[in-house]
Amino acid sequence: MNHSSTANGAALAVSENRLAPGMEERTDPRAVLTARVDQLYGQMWLGILTTFAIGAIATFELWELRLRELVLFWWGLVLLITAASAGLLYAYRSAPEKEANPEQWLRWLGIAALAAGANWGFAGAVFFPSHTDEQQVFLAFILTGMTAAGIPVYAASWPIFALYAAGILAPFTYVLATFGNRLFTEIALLVPMFYAINVAIAYRLTQVFLSGYRLRHAYGRLTQDYSVLNQRLERQLVELEEARRQVEASGRKLQLFAERAPIAVLELNAQGAITEVNHAAELLFGYAGTELIGSDFRFLVRPEHHEEFGRRWTRLVDTHSSEAGLIRTTRRDGIDLVCEWTVTPLVNPEGTIIAVLAQGRDVTAQREAERVKKEFTSTLSHELRTPLTSIIGSLQLINTGIVGDVPPDVAELTVVAERNGQRLLDLINDLLDIEKIESGKLSMAPEVLAIDDVVREAMVLNKAFGERFKVRFEMGSGLPGRQVTADRKRLLQVMTNLLSNAAKFSPEGNAVEIALRDDGSSVRVAVQDRGPGIPESFRTRIFGRFAQADSTATRQKGGTGLGLAICKRLIEMMHGKIGFEDRAGGGTTFWFELPRT
Amino acid sequence: MPDRTLNRICYVEDDEDIQRIVRMSLERVGKMTVEVVGDPTMAIEAMSAFKPDLVMLDWMMPKLDGPALFRQMQAHAELKSLPVVFITAKAAQRDLDELMAMGAVGTISKPFSPKDLPDQLREIWKKLP
Repeated sequence: MNHSSTANGAALAVSENRLAPGMEERTDPRAVLTARVDQLYGQMWLGILTTFAIGAIATFELWELRLRELVLFWWGLVLLITAASAGLLYAYRSAPEKEANPEQWLRWLGIAALAAGANWGFAGAVFFPSHTDEQQVFLAFILTGMTAAGIPVYAASWPIFALYAAGILAPFTYVLATFGNRLFTEIALLVPMFYAINVAIAYRLTQVFLSGYRLRHAYGRLTQDYSVLNQRLERQLVELEEARRQVEASGRKLQLFAERAPIAVLELNAQGAITEVNHAAELLFGYAGTELIGSDFRFLVRPEHHEEFGRRWTRLVDTHSSEAGLIRTTRRDGIDLVCEWTVTPLVNPEGTIIAVLAQGRDVTAQREAERVKKEFTSTLSHELRTPLTSIIGSLQLINTGIVGDVPPDVAELTVVAERNGQRLLDLINDLLDIEKIESGKLSMAPEVLAIDDVVREAMVLNKAFGERFKVRFEMGSGLPGRQVTADRKRLLQVMTNLLSNAAKFSPEGNAVEIALRDDGSSVRVAVQDRGPGIPESFRTRIFGRFAQADSTATRQKGGTGLGLAICKRLIEMMHGKIGFEDRAGGGTTFWFELPRT
Repeated sequence: MPDRTLNRICYVEDDEDIQRIVRMSLERVGKMTVEVVGDPTMAIEAMSAFKPDLVMLDWMMPKLDGPALFRQMQAHAELKSLPVVFITAKAAQRDLDELMAMGAVGTISKPFSPKDLPDQLREIWKKLP
C-alpha cells in the first residue's frame, strides 16, 4: 500500500464516521461549496469531450439516408451543447471572483448537465424505435454508459447527476414502455430502478466528497492556525530572549554599580547574616569579603549598640520597610566608625524577604570635622570677644568721661579706637551669623509681631547711629494692625542693617524715609535714601559676601560687607523677599516683604 | 521686686582686665559696692563672707567654670537663694537658654557696655520676685 492510498483510506474512514466533533464548526460551508463547484468544473472538460466523441460515433453509427435530417439535427444539438458547455467552462475559468457566487455557477452547471442528458434522452427516444436491433443494442449501451459515466463526473453534486440521468433515462424509459414488446416493457420497469441505484450511489459519493472537502478545509484551517501559533511562539521566544538579555545586562550593571560604588554595599539574609559584600565594604571594615560572608552583621556593630540594632532589625523584618540612620561599628583594627546606613529589604510577591541590602557611607571623618569646626568657631568667638571686651570697655569708660577728662587730641584718638573696636566686633558677629546660617544652625524664634512696632523700635535703636552721620529717620504713615510672623531679634538685625547703610550713604542733614505698604498677602517695608545710588557694576553682587561697592567707603564709614548677605538669608528664612531699586529723584530704596499673618 | 536697691555685687572672673573694667563700671557709673573674685575655687568662701545682693559669674574659667560654681552654690544653704547673672562671651542663643534653664536670673553677653552694665543689672534686679 503506498502512501497516497493510505491517506485516501484514512480520509474515507473519517468520512464514514462523520467529522470529529468540533471539526465541522471549523469548516466554512461556503468554502466547501466553492470547492465542490471547482471540482465539478474541473471535470467538466471530460464530460464535454466524452459528449462530443460519443456523439460523433453515434452520429456515424446511426447515419441513414431516410433519417438524415433528424440525425443531422441531433448532431447539431450535440455540437451546440458541447459548444455551450465549453463556453460555460471558459467563462468559469476566466471569472475573476468565482467564489462570490458558487450557487449561480452550480445552477448553470445543472442546466448544462440537464441539456446534455436530455440530448441523449432525445437520441434514445427518436432513434431507438426507428433503427435496427443491432443499433438498438448500440443505443442502449451508449445510454447506460453515458448514465454511468455521469456518476464520477457529477459525483460532487448528486442533484445535478439526478437531473442529468433523468434527462437521459426518462424519454428512453417511455419509449421502451410504449414499444409494444414484452421484453422492452420489462426493461422499462428496470430502468427506473437502475436510475434510483445510480442516484443513490451519486448521493453517497457526494457525501464522501463533502466529508473530504470538509476535512481538507478543517485541515487547512488547522495548518493556518498552527502556523499563526507557531509565528506567535517564535515571536514570544525572540521577546523572551531579548528580555533575558536585558535582565542579564541590568544585572551586570547593578553588580558593577555595587562593585565600584564608593559606598559600602552588603547583602544580608533575613536573619542578618552577610551573603555578599562589595570592595568598599571590605575597605571600610578591613575584612576580606570571604571573612565577612557567612558571619552575622552584628559582629561589626559595637556591643553597646546591639540592643538598638536588634530593635531596628526586628522592625525592618516585621514591616518590610527600609531603615535609615547612623550605626556605630568597629573596624578590624578596633577603630570606631560611624556610618550612615540605608537598609532595605527585598521582598518577593509572596511577602517573604529574599535579601536585605545595606548601604553604608562612612561619616566618621565628616562628623569629626564638624565637631572640630564647631569647637573652632566657639573658641574663636570666645577668644576674640574676651580681649575685645577689655578694649571696647576701657575705651568706652574713657570716652564717656567716667574716669575724668582727657586732652582733646587723646579723646579724638580713643573715639577712633572704640569705633574700630566696635567694627571688629561687628565683623566677628557677622561672620558667626553667616557661618551659622550656612551650616543650617541658625534657628528662628518666630512670633506674631506688629510690623509698625518693630520698625519704630529699629528707628529708636539706630537713632544714635544716624546722628553720627547727621541723618534722621522718618516714617510716613504706618500700617497699624498689620502683623507678620517673624523672629523679632533677627528682624531688628535686618532693619538695623538697612537703616545704618542708608544713614552711611545719605548726604548730611538728610532724612532716610521708611515707607510701609500693605500688598494684601504681604507687607512691604522700604528704606529710602538720597545717597549716590548703587553703581551698575555692583548691582549683581550686592547681596554676596564681602560685597562693598568701594573700599574707600568701607574705611570711611565702617561696615563688614556681610550685612546685606545676612539680611537676604534672614529674610528668606522668614519666607520673605528682599531687593532694591533706584529711587525716583535720586537715591536708593532697599525693601523687604514678609508674608502677612 | 526686692524691697531694697541693688548695691552689693560679687563678681567671679579670671581675666584681670575685665575685672578692672567691671569694677570701674559698677563702682563709678553704678555707685555699687563690688567684690571681685579672681580664683573661682575661692568664690564660695568670698561670697559667704561678703554677703552680696547679686552674684555675677563668668562662664569659662580655668579650674572651675561658671555653671560648676553655680551648682556648688546650690549646695550651700546661705548661697542657694542668691540671684546669679552669667556674663559670657558665648554668643549662641542655645547656650544662653541653657544657663537660664539652670536657674540663672539673667545673662549678659561679652562684650558689654560698661556705661550700660549697672542699668542692665538693675533691670534684672527689678524683675526679681
